Amino acid sequence: MSRWPMPSGCCSAARTAEVPTMSAVPQPLGPQAHGASPRRVGWRLPRAWVPYVLLSPFLLLFAVFGVFPLVFSLWLAFQSWEPTSGLASMRFVGLENFVFALQDEWFWKSLGNTGWLALVSGVPQHLVAIPLACFIHAALRRSRNAMVGAYFVPYITSTVAIAILFSSLFSTDYGLINAALGVLLPGDPVDWLNDPQRIKPAIALIVFWRYVGFNLVLYLAALQTIPKDLYEAAKMDGASQLQQFFYITLPSLKPMIFFGVTLSVIGGLQLFEEPFILTGGRGGSDQAGMTTAIYLYRMAFDFNDFGAASAMSWLLFVLVVALTWLTHRAFNPRRKAD
Amino acid sequence: MHAERLSRLSAHLLVALGALIMLAPFYFMFVFATHSRTEIFSLPPPLFFGDDFANNLAILTDKLPFWRNLGWSLYVALASTLLTLLFCSMGGYAFAMFEFRYKNALFALVMATMLLPSFMNMIPTFMIMDLLGWIDQPRALYIPGAASAFGIFLMRQYVAASVPRDLLEAARMDGCSEFGIYARIVLPLLKPALGTLGLITFIASWNNFIGPLVVMRSPEMYTLPLALRSLQSPVNTEWGALMAASAIATLPLLLLFMVSSRQLIAGLTAGAVK
Amino acid sequence: MGLQQKGGGALRAWAALCLLALAALPVQAQRTLTVAAFPSVDEIIRAAAPAWKALHPDVQLKVVSRQFADHHTAMTTALSTASNLPDVMALEVGYVGRFAQGGGLDDLSAPPFGLKSEAKRYVPFALAQGSNRHGAVVAAPTDIGPGTLLYRADLLARSGLAEAELTQSWGSYVAAGLKIKAATGAYLMAHARDMKDIVIRTGLRPGEGLYFDGESRVLVSSPRFVRAFELAREVRRQKLDARVIAWSNEWAEGFKRGTIATQMSGAWLAGHLNHWLAPSTAGAWRAAQLPEGAFVAYGGTFLAVPRGVPPAQKALAWDLIRLLTLERGMQLAAFKAQDAFPALLETFEDPFFGQPIAFLGGQPARLLWRDAARRIQAVAVHKQDAFADEVINTELDKVLDRGKDIHVALADAERLLQRRAHR
Repeated sequence: MSRWPMPSGCCSAARTAEVPTMSAVPQPLGPQAHGASPRRVGWRLPRAWVPYVLLSPFLLLFAVFGVFPLVFSLWLAFQSWEPTSGLASMRFVGLENFVFALQDEWFWKSLGNTGWLALVSGVPQHLVAIPLACFIHAALRRSRNAMVGAYFVPYITSTVAIAILFSSLFSTDYGLINAALGVLLPGDPVDWLNDPQRIKPAIALIVFWRYVGFNLVLYLAALQTIPKDLYEAAKMDGASQLQQFFYITLPSLKPMIFFGVTLSVIGGLQLFEEPFILTGGRGGSDQAGMTTAIYLYRMAFDFNDFGAASAMSWLLFVLVVALTWLTHRAFNPRRKAD
Repeated sequence: MHAERLSRLSAHLLVALGALIMLAPFYFMFVFATHSRTEIFSLPPPLFFGDDFANNLAILTDKLPFWRNLGWSLYVALASTLLTLLFCSMGGYAFAMFEFRYKNALFALVMATMLLPSFMNMIPTFMIMDLLGWIDQPRALYIPGAASAFGIFLMRQYVAASVPRDLLEAARMDGCSEFGIYARIVLPLLKPALGTLGLITFIASWNNFIGPLVVMRSPEMYTLPLALRSLQSPVNTEWGALMAASAIATLPLLLLFMVSSRQLIAGLTAGAVK
Repeated sequence: MGLQQKGGGALRAWAALCLLALAALPVQAQRTLTVAAFPSVDEIIRAAAPAWKALHPDVQLKVVSRQFADHHTAMTTALSTASNLPDVMALEVGYVGRFAQGGGLDDLSAPPFGLKSEAKRYVPFALAQGSNRHGAVVAAPTDIGPGTLLYRADLLARSGLAEAELTQSWGSYVAAGLKIKAATGAYLMAHARDMKDIVIRTGLRPGEGLYFDGESRVLVSSPRFVRAFELAREVRRQKLDARVIAWSNEWAEGFKRGTIATQMSGAWLAGHLNHWLAPSTAGAWRAAQLPEGAFVAYGGTFLAVPRGVPPAQKALAWDLIRLLTLERGMQLAAFKAQDAFPALLETFEDPFFGQPIAFLGGQPARLLWRDAARRIQAVAVHKQDAFADEVINTELDKVLDRGKDIHVALADAERLLQRRAHR
């Protein structure tokens, strides 16, 4: 007995909600020899072709707009190319770009920055989103959508607006953030935008602000699928709130945490927009806010060295793949996920 | 008992405070939209609404074909969303429910494109657009995006989680065509995921500026982000007009979110609950 | 029946009339000249539309404007594939060097362009900036940015100083800063980096670029760098700089509140101060030449023609460039409307230069800037200049903020630059 209602209108209006089992007389696939199906399609697509047909629009676009740039970028990583001279000026240089990248001080510095930012902006997102989701799920009914909406709004704000707003908010002498801090912790105003030690926390704050709502929505959705009886049973057994959280909520959330963390890892390692707008596209004093993605962009468009930029982007790619795989293993240590 | 109520109240307050902090910059965007350039650029910045909104709008429409740009943004975002939903749902269904050669390798390749920074694609994309003759045409913006790696990933996860194979088998045995199965059974079940992907795609398309930067040549064809950026110069930006434009540009997204938030919350579940 | 015939007859007559009208319309192919630019150069070009129409009534002028950085990115992209190029592109001085080395831009001093015979009419250093290593003029200058020292005359007076004390030498400039700080509390400059920026541009030997020489040898250990760093460090030690970055909120506020006493910049800054940065301080500022006889350019715009443009368009492109850069009237109009200092020598005789500038308390500062423009030396550009800029700024910050030794800092910079000098 299936728990899924049979959608009406498809082929057999005469059938009821019972889903027939496979134990009936095996029907050959293909045109029905008999049966009460009112709607019968004349020409049937062979079953084997179906996935290809379904995928073909996607694959066509992907081949043209996804694969070609990928291949071009890989090709470019082995060339020396100054773009304004035109395509013909590409010169094959083998692994030289990769060697240059791996020996480049700034490349390693940018990786360090990226790692720090990914961690510091990523971990709090989840640490805050999970308890917040639990609270909203449990405590708020009527104001739930409004509250979630409030946390989600940063995600849809445009980067242009964010650039101006946060430059103003983080301003050293007159910004509102320093004003608020001055009330709570008296001391010298913090030079967020120019001090290399301070620009990183500022960027991390903006990233956190932007994406915590996104994660909140993910976790809230996942919480809604945890059956209430589990909590009932635990309460009857005398489990405290905290115990319920650790032994029921968290394990049930594990798949969603994996999904969210993977997205955070990928997004964090490719962090570009927030540091770009806060440092005016340059990466900040002492390159403290320069993530690898920003360094790539500068290599390509400011320093006109496309070959090295491509090589670096592939090195970053290897890193992202490796870390994504590690995340995968961390969350699914024994069984192989799909 | 009293302590519990107190802790409840403080939890509520904390969450509400958090929400206010989240909304604060957004509020300032609207406040800045109503002030002149000199006022915005001064410190302390204005805290309450001013009276320069009409003036800012005048500057805006004087410097840009703003409403036209808004129109193009809307058109491209809608087309992008529809195409993406169609192609990714078909593709996700194929990856989730069928077995075919090279399936895993293909999926890995698709995922790989998610892992490279998008601006590295600028020049090759430009070459293709030029070859196809799509420069300065909106289709250059919404067609490539339909092959979204994130979209197909989300769809695949959702289909795998929410569409039972036996249902499909039953439908096949009933004599339903494959396309009929897709259209009448799978798609309705995918509604939450479609809502989610639709929202995310719309937002991404709306805020995208690298795409238009590469392919658009005429100011009348710009979408909003590019048009807004063209108002910026290192020395002579009309900040008031820019903030007014940004504020207006956010409104459709806000509206869309309010309409589809229910779908969004339901739709993002399934990718993980497998 | 009769009515129908009447109607039919009228219809036929009307159709015939339409056909006649259509036949009488001249069939014209609308030609377009596409110009890519950024604010506010786009305004200058649009303002030339009437003059262009008089010159070529059948060619429409189309201006494609993008944000400053986006424009140059788009131009890089277009040049890289030599397709979808504008007929004329505007380039800012910082990008001209990079694009000039490339070979994607046409030599305007060769046929079919006519720059060769007109070359002497341009301000010499600007023309040199638009030329590449092989002597080809790949970009024609349309405006320049002569460097000047803008200072608050009221603050100077309160400190009992004369202008000469500010400008006599770098040493006297710093000494004046101490007096200003003591008497009024105002900072001498916005950031010590401004000092470094000027001093490294003085004392260049012929053929030298800013950071590299003609053979891509790194020059950052030369005396001018050491002196620049030492002066900047002194300024910071004496707390004479406000530690604010140009174009930030604090910088603008510094001008509004009179906490920044001087600013070394392009002459165009006076216009910005007047229009929106600090309009309330009108009348309190004056302009002077840069200290110790330094003559430096800040900014400047050029017009170039990409190589891939079809020959028919090239003639039109040159006509536009000639209109914008070699016509006295157009150059002066741009000067008056957009504060774009002319790159055409003969405009310098115009009485407009001698007119008093209200913002500067009636000082006819344009004469000053004209003098400066005549004496600026061109500096050779190198592909890695943008990178070198970053590196030197970073090392300077370390010297200023963390007390790093100057020679160690410059040696570190040299090491980093040497790795890339030949890429």
